[in-house]
Formats: sequence, C-alpha cells, structure tokens
Amino acid sequence: MSQTTTSTTQEIPKEIERFDIIFRIQHVVMFTTFLLLSFTGWGLKYAHAPQGVASMWIRVWGGAETAGLIHRIAGVTMLLDFITHVIYLVYLIAIGKITWNTRTTVIPLPKDVMDVVQNFLYFFGLSKEKAKFGKFSYAQKFDYWAVFWGMFIIGTSGFALAFPVFFSNFVPQFTSGWIWEVLSIMHSDEALLAIVFILFWHFYNEHLKPEVFPMSWIWITGKISTDTLKHHHPLEYELLFPDDAKKNKKG
Amino acid sequence: MPYKKFLIVAAPLLLLVIMLPASAFSKETASCLACHSSMKGRLKSAAGALIELNVDADRFQQSVHGGLSCTDCHMRFADNPHATPGAAVPPAVVALAQKLSAKHAVDPVAAAACTGCHEETFTKVLASVHGKNIIEKKQTDGAFCIDCHGSPHYIVKVKDPRSLVSREQQVETCGRCHGDKKLIEKYQLQENVMESFKESFHGRKLHLGHTKVPVCASCHNAHDITTKNDPASPVFGKNKLQTCGKCHKGANEKFIPAITHQKPGPIPHYTEKALILLLLSTFAFIIIHVLLEAFSDIRDAIFRKGREE
Repeated sequence: MSQTTTSTTQEIPKEIERFDIIFRIQHVVMFTTFLLLSFTGWGLKYAHAPQGVASMWIRVWGGAETAGLIHRIAGVTMLLDFITHVIYLVYLIAIGKITWNTRTTVIPLPKDVMDVVQNFLYFFGLSKEKAKFGKFSYAQKFDYWAVFWGMFIIGTSGFALAFPVFFSNFVPQFTSGWIWEVLSIMHSDEALLAIVFILFWHFYNEHLKPEVFPMSWIWITGKISTDTLKHHHPLEYELLFPDDAKKNKKG
Repeated sequence: MPYKKFLIVAAPLLLLVIMLPASAFSKETASCLACHSSMKGRLKSAAGALIELNVDADRFQQSVHGGLSCTDCHMRFADNPHATPGAAVPPAVVALAQKLSAKHAVDPVAAAACTGCHEETFTKVLASVHGKNIIEKKQTDGAFCIDCHGSPHYIVKVKDPRSLVSREQQVETCGRCHGDKKLIEKYQLQENVMESFKESFHGRKLHLGHTKVPVCASCHNAHDITTKNDPASPVFGKNKLQTCGKCHKGANEKFIPAITHQKPGPIPHYTEKALILLLLSTFAFIIIHVLLEAFSDIRDAIFRKGREE
C-alpha cells in the first residue's frame, strides 16, 4: 500500500507462507485431540445405543476407565493448545507481525455476509461472479471461529465436568440447582454440533472439494502457491503484489 | 528304595485326594435332594401359597450356601419332613417367623432362619424402611431378603456379576420395584429414578462397563436403607456432603446438587431447546451450502468449461 510505485516490477515468488510452523503445530494438536475427544465422547453420549455397540466401541478404547482418562487428557491438551494459540496471536500483534487490514483479518466483517449472498446468487445462476476473498474466506472464518465457540461452550463445560468439585467453588450458589444439568447438555449437544460441523463443512472445504481432494496440503507445508492465492484470495493477492495485479487488470 | 519310589507316586495322589471336593452334601441333605433335585413345578399349600419344589443341586452346591444342610434353615423339617414338620425351633426364630408369615407363607421359619448367621444384617433390615414395611405393615409386595438376593439356594458373592445385587445387576434389581408404576403409586415412591440414573454420568458409565461407578446402594445404603426424607438417610440434606465425598473428595454444598433423580427444571430444558435450534440451523446452513457449491462446481465443469482462467 505504502510502497511507492517503482519502475522495477515486483518479483512474484512461486509460493508464499500462509501458516508458520507454530500455527501448523497448533493445528495438528487441535485435530488430534479433537478426534480422540470425539471418538471417546461419542461412546458416552450414546452409551445406551442398541445392541451394546457403545460398550463395544468403548472397549476399543480400553474400557470405560481408560476411555475416560484419554478424554480428560485430550481435553486438557486441547484447552492448552487453544490458550497457546491466543497467546501467540497476542505476541504476533505485539511485535507488529499482525496488523489490522480488512483484507487479511480473520475477524468477520459485513463484507463476509455480502460474500455469502453473492455466492448463493452464483450457486443459483443469478450472478456470473463468485465472491472475491481476502486472506480468509467466509468459509474459513466460519471454520476458525467455530473453534472459539467450541472452546467457550464445550471447553468450559468439559473442564467443569472433568473437575466438578474444583469447579463447584466458582459456581454461584443460586445456580447450583441447574448448572450441572446445563453443563452436561452444553457439552454433549455442542460436541455433536462440532463433530457434524467438521464432518460436513471442514471436510468438504478442505478435503472433498474436487479442487483440493484428497486434501489441501497447506496444513503440512504451510505454503500456498501464488497461483492458488490469486485464484482463491484475489484481494490478498492484490495487496501483496499490487503491480502484478494492476497489470493483469489492464491486460 | 522302592519305598521312596512309592512316596513319589503316592504323595501327589494323596494331595489330589485332599484337593478334590469332599462329597458335596451331608447324608441328610443328599436325601432331600434325591427327590427335590428332580422334582419340577409348584405345589399349592393348604394356606394357598405356592411351593417351589425344585432345587437345582449343582447351582445350590456352587452357591455360598452350598455347605449348609437343608435343615439349617428349614428347621421344622428335621426328621420325617412331610408328615410332621414340627421339629424344635429356637424361640427367637419362631418369634421372627410369626412376623414374617404374611410375606413368606410357604416356610416363614426358613425365611427367619437367615438371622442365625446374618444377625447383624438382619437387625439392620428389620429397622429399615423395607423391613418395617414387611414386619409392621404386613405388606407382601415389599422387598425382603430374597427379593433382592434371589433364592437363598443360589446366592453367589456380591462381586460375582451373576449376583442380583452386583454392580452389574443391582440397578435392575432395585428397578423391579422402583421402576414399577403400580408400586410407585402405592408406596408414593420417587418417580423417574430409573430414567434419571440411566441418563446420568453414573448410569452411562455403568452401562459402558466402568468398574468403580456407584450404583443404588452406594449412595442410598443397602440393608439399613431409609426413605430420603429420614434424617438418617445418606442422601438427606447435608448428609450428601459425606456420601458424595466418598468418591468426590471435598464435595461441597454447590457440588452435591449435581446428581438428583428429579426431572430437569425449566432452565436446562430451554437451554437444550435453544442449543438444538442452533444445531439445526447450523446444519441446515452448512449442508445447503455444501450441496449447492458442489452442484455449481458440476454445472461449471459441464457448461462453463474454461470460463474461469
């Protein structure tokens, strides 16, 4: 933006880094613990499933005691992973690596709603243009903030249910009659939401979609090719390579 | 030398003889079982009670009572049983048997005989809400020894999953009465106990085979059970602090309401409704979006080939 237009055209690299190694590790820890939590928690949620399938499934995880231990360890690990993520974000903001820009922010903006509308118009053939995204499309923002919602609802209730006596010290007296029931409903219902969300939304967008199948490799390499960037994140591309973007527009 | 050789052969054999079960039953018991192990069906007594005639000798032998002889409990049938069942019975047992005659019409003496070995337990039961119901109110459909433990002929250790009062089976055993609509109505029992336990974390873990999860008697006591409104009950008011504290060290007043048999109140109810609404609307959005996007990709691949770069 502040770059003065120089006569020398900008060098366009083949790929750029989208997620650094810390983010990639956080993602791996997140999905590993997520899978462990889903597998063990599912058995407890549907403990009374017919034909004793839940007990059989829990035996795969080493029986009720072991499955419970796995669930607690994975849960605490996930919470720590989340806290690490937030701290790392604060650090990146503090050293100026993350700056405010509507084209690179992950924070939902009114434009995202417009993008959804635009895409639906496109899906129905009412518009010939797909929405143009910045660094994060609305689908990716949805994915990202779903984790925050999950952490808030499932994480806190899970922590409370795993350490109920400890947690009870912080519970106001007047809520004690219903808070426990609410906590278990929150944990179990929102866990189902999270699982289905990942299964449909995340799996479709990052795995099953024809153009990324079998998966988007960014989670390992952290790199996105400038080609893909130009195609899927044109607004970010314009920001990073303004000269090239201008040239293309003219041409 | 041959003497030593003989020992080598004989010693293990002797050991084997010692280890073999001694002839299972006493002569007297064997003579009872000679008929009763092969008899089948029930007989109506003069008083109109049904007498189960069959005793499964194998199961009896394997039970914790397998070492007793029939007349240890069936005291009146000492010698010539069926003609004159009138052998001397200790007065304490007679007194008890009289109180039990409504519940155990077939052989009240045998029912009272439990106290001979299990006096401490029996005293607790008599003072309990279950015992008083039988002794004082003369009810016949209330719980007494065999309603929970099954036939005394086949009782196995409580740790054995075959036991009706084991962790595996206890909830169902209690539920035969506490989940029975007629009995709940008759005795004004707390409703919803079976359903709420099944739904609770304890109930779910039990179902999944957890080996330390509490079942009914873990919180409500067994032989000395009282109603929940009795100040002596382990689930009465602040007694819960201690009862829950057996497993949850440091259980406090805000922790103990976590487990009840009440139906969930309005706040959890509407929280759940709100969360389900959120769940369904999210599902609707993502499923519609994913499907439409997939269809538009297919459409583009067929009709708009090469339009995009």
